[in-house]
Amino acid sequence: MRKDQTLGEVLRQQGVSRRGFLKFCAATASMMALSPAMVPQIARALENARRPSVIWLSFQECTGCTESLTRSHTPTVEGLIFDVISLDYHHTLQAASGTHAEEAREQAMEENRGKYLLVVDGSIPVGNPGYSTIAGISNLEMLKETAAGAAAIVSVGSCAAFGGIPHANPNPTGAVGVSELITDKPIINVSGCPPIPAVITGVLAQYLTFGKIPELDHLGRPVAFYGKNIHDRCYRRPFYERGQFAETFDDEGARKGWCLYKLGCKGPITYNACAVTKWNDGVSFPIQSGHGCLGCSEPNFWDLGGFYKPLAQATMTTGTVIAGAAAAGAALGAGAALLGRSRQKKFRKEVSEESKS
Amino acid sequence: MTLLDFARGPALQWSIIIFAVGTLIRLFGAAFMLRNKVLSKPRKSDWVRGGFRTILTRTLPAPVFEKRIRFQHYAGYIWHIGFFITLLFFQLHILFFKGLFGISWPGLPNDVIMVTGAITAAVLVALLVRRMTNPVLRIISTIDDYISWLVTLAPIITGMMAYAHMGFRYETMLAIHLLSVAVLLVWIPFGKLIHIFLVFPSRYQQGAKFERRGVRA
Amino acid sequence: MSMDKPMQEAFAMFYGMAQNLKDLATPVEMPDEERVSRAKQAFLSKLDADMAVDLETCINCGMCAEACHFYIGTEDPKYTPIRKLDLMKRVYRRDLSPMRWLHRLYTKDITAKELEDWQELVYDSCTVCGRCSLMCPMGIHIAEMVAVNRQVLAEAGLIPDELRVMQEGQLEKGTIFEAGPELLEFRINDLKERLGIDIPINKPGSDIMVLTSGLDIHLFYDALAGTAKVLNHLGVSWALCTHGYEAANFGLLSGDEDTQHVATMKIIDTAIECGVKIVITPECGHSFPSLRWEGAEIYGKPLPFDVMSISEYLGRQVMDGKLKLKKAAEKKVVALHDPCKIGRWGGTFEEPRAIIDALGLELHETESNREYNFCCGGGAGVFLINRAAPLRQKAYEVKMGEIKDTGAESLVVSCGSCRMNFETGKIKSNDTIPVDSLVALVAENLAS
Repeated sequence: MRKDQTLGEVLRQQGVSRRGFLKFCAATASMMALSPAMVPQIARALENARRPSVIWLSFQECTGCTESLTRSHTPTVEGLIFDVISLDYHHTLQAASGTHAEEAREQAMEENRGKYLLVVDGSIPVGNPGYSTIAGISNLEMLKETAAGAAAIVSVGSCAAFGGIPHANPNPTGAVGVSELITDKPIINVSGCPPIPAVITGVLAQYLTFGKIPELDHLGRPVAFYGKNIHDRCYRRPFYERGQFAETFDDEGARKGWCLYKLGCKGPITYNACAVTKWNDGVSFPIQSGHGCLGCSEPNFWDLGGFYKPLAQATMTTGTVIAGAAAAGAALGAGAALLGRSRQKKFRKEVSEESKS
Repeated sequence: MTLLDFARGPALQWSIIIFAVGTLIRLFGAAFMLRNKVLSKPRKSDWVRGGFRTILTRTLPAPVFEKRIRFQHYAGYIWHIGFFITLLFFQLHILFFKGLFGISWPGLPNDVIMVTGAITAAVLVALLVRRMTNPVLRIISTIDDYISWLVTLAPIITGMMAYAHMGFRYETMLAIHLLSVAVLLVWIPFGKLIHIFLVFPSRYQQGAKFERRGVRA
Repeated sequence: MSMDKPMQEAFAMFYGMAQNLKDLATPVEMPDEERVSRAKQAFLSKLDADMAVDLETCINCGMCAEACHFYIGTEDPKYTPIRKLDLMKRVYRRDLSPMRWLHRLYTKDITAKELEDWQELVYDSCTVCGRCSLMCPMGIHIAEMVAVNRQVLAEAGLIPDELRVMQEGQLEKGTIFEAGPELLEFRINDLKERLGIDIPINKPGSDIMVLTSGLDIHLFYDALAGTAKVLNHLGVSWALCTHGYEAANFGLLSGDEDTQHVATMKIIDTAIECGVKIVITPECGHSFPSLRWEGAEIYGKPLPFDVMSISEYLGRQVMDGKLKLKKAAEKKVVALHDPCKIGRWGGTFEEPRAIIDALGLELHETESNREYNFCCGGGAGVFLINRAAPLRQKAYEVKMGEIKDTGAESLVVSCGSCRMNFETGKIKSNDTIPVDSLVALVAENLAS
């Protein structure tokens, strides 16, 4: 593929019909809650889009986000789009390795300074930057260097967005998300562990089309995908309302598909598109498969008391704590009683001495 | 740490600790002071039973008393009973106690609980109006009465709002509800809510004192 | 029997004497700081675990007011019973409560002015009847603590004048209303001559020692006479002992503990000296619990004799079949007043009823009866406090309302102080229902 070909030329080369292309644009518009009137604009923008440079940095990550992304790599239009952005650096997908890979990155940064899109997955250790390095360069340094020339940054996955699993208690590496380190560039947080494939591509497509950052919530996530919580869109919600809960996995309630609140589902506090867009091209999502939502698109979801700890339960207090407090209280209470008694004795003694005198 | 993390974690933890320690200090500190000796011969030797009986019978006032305190007496019971039904028979509360103590029991339907909660809150508001307008209550009420009223009502209102997904987003409303419970727990050792525990020894004492004189109190 | 002419004259004289008590009082000068420090010291030495639990448990529900005849009669919320304990609550909270370190921050200290204001609340407008205690849903023994408040105010030099005169007199002379041995002798001779009633004095080896009161010696001699007549009729061995015959205890009523101690010990020493098995208190309210329920604490150990009020003793005799009474020719409807100190504080309810039944009278109970009865309005020495007269009248009206509702032709009562309050109340309200002494009724209707 030549770098200077437009997307439209590439698509025609690949045999994608105009009709198929327009269908994709319509689907994208609908998914982003844009009006059908926008479809021609999307088509025009995508058709004429020069292949923008995208640099994808992978830090302390499990590669799950890339795996998720590649699950959308089928003979669909989405897959083709990713053939036609200039993915100039990606550890998992690139062919090059070693110094050549790093040179490719540096060249892309140089040629597209101020215009390239930086995508990050994985958290950045700041406790000791030596915990994670690439070609001898710490994640922290590489991020700062690469962010400096980027037009915008997309943090893919909860690790890049909020610190993710490395950030979980006790956070031995001092892991943080991108937005804690870069404050002078626009950042879109596409959180999730991993994010839904279509959400990743949808965000990139929107940026491609409009060249601007979509509306973000207070955590920097696109409202189009993260604006509603799972609980409000969950098909098991009527069971919650009726008070019908699964008490254990595989009990009668579980088999009947009742609400999973009591098994620790974090749906009520999790904002993501899982209940609507689902996974594996709309096949299912965790709750539908019988497991409560982990809250994976929320910050600190590893530290919410446990995946199986219901929201309505205290996370720190156990029977032991209560027993201990009761014991302490009894001891201190006995002390208070003794103090009170000796005070009483003093008062009574004063009075009897006075009456004798 | 989000507000909800704080509420479910340290807030509940420390409020429960303060509640347990503070209550026991106040209970033991008062109940185990020196007790003035009663040396007269009782009319009957089993006057201790009178004390326990009074704990039960003082729940219902004598007819000549009842007709003068009717509204307050029934309103008081309606909201107390409603409060305990809501606290103990709402599924998610039972879940909460299961997390603390490992035991659970059957609950009531959610709608029943919502109605009970609403009635309880309404009666509490009516009683506040009464406290602010009735001459006897106005002359004896202190700030303790108003604080106790507020920390008792807040969990009911915030709980209903959280359940019905009213007001703030669920994660915030649940956090506020849990924090209101924490505030209630922390207040119990320090205000008049201590009567939850002290009503028993207090009724017992009076019942025993009257019973030893041959009077059914 | 209700008051005959001589008794009516005695009543007028007695009432006049009571009215003038105030003039005999010598003022008690005490600087404010001393009042406050003595009061606090008294509170703190008397507070115990039971009171602490009670004071902590109050929920400010105000139901106690609905039990109190002074509140019901006046509808003035300042007479709310628990409010009488406000100074005690605050001293407890600031200086003794396990949470005192916190309470001190926002609980006001008590002042001399408040102590002075509390005189009305603790004396004038409280007969320590105990009804509030029975109403309290938390089981707080309000009335018992008001009695403690009297002791505290006494320490602070705030006993009302009339009660102080009585207390000082009893401390000095061992009698009340100047009813010393000479007056007692006069009355005994009078009863012998006029009514043919023998009263054994200082008889050695008696089983029973009978107490009387200055009130009965002066005025309600029908009760004294009746007691003597019935005991003689029963043939029991009894006597009045001149070393200690005064049942009333103005140390208890005023709150002066020294006087209470002296007056009680006088009875106990005399009873032991005479070697009796039973001491009977007269138709006088507080004298029964004073000896029966508080005597042992003063003596330091359980009393070596039994104590009964005359109504309890006679009632038992009737219930055991030992005392036979004449049934009335026609069934007369009567109401019964349970004196607070003998009923609610004393535990005597069925004995007077047994007597009324044996007399063939038809008892119509007042709506509030037995342990729930309304106070006559004049108990605990309040009858003697002049400025409390309007309050007493209001309380009387509450009680008399219930009595009238029974449709009774007469009222039976076994307490001289209650009789006094009913008689004076009747005059002020133009009520006419006759008030009879229970003992006098028994004495008039002995079956041979």
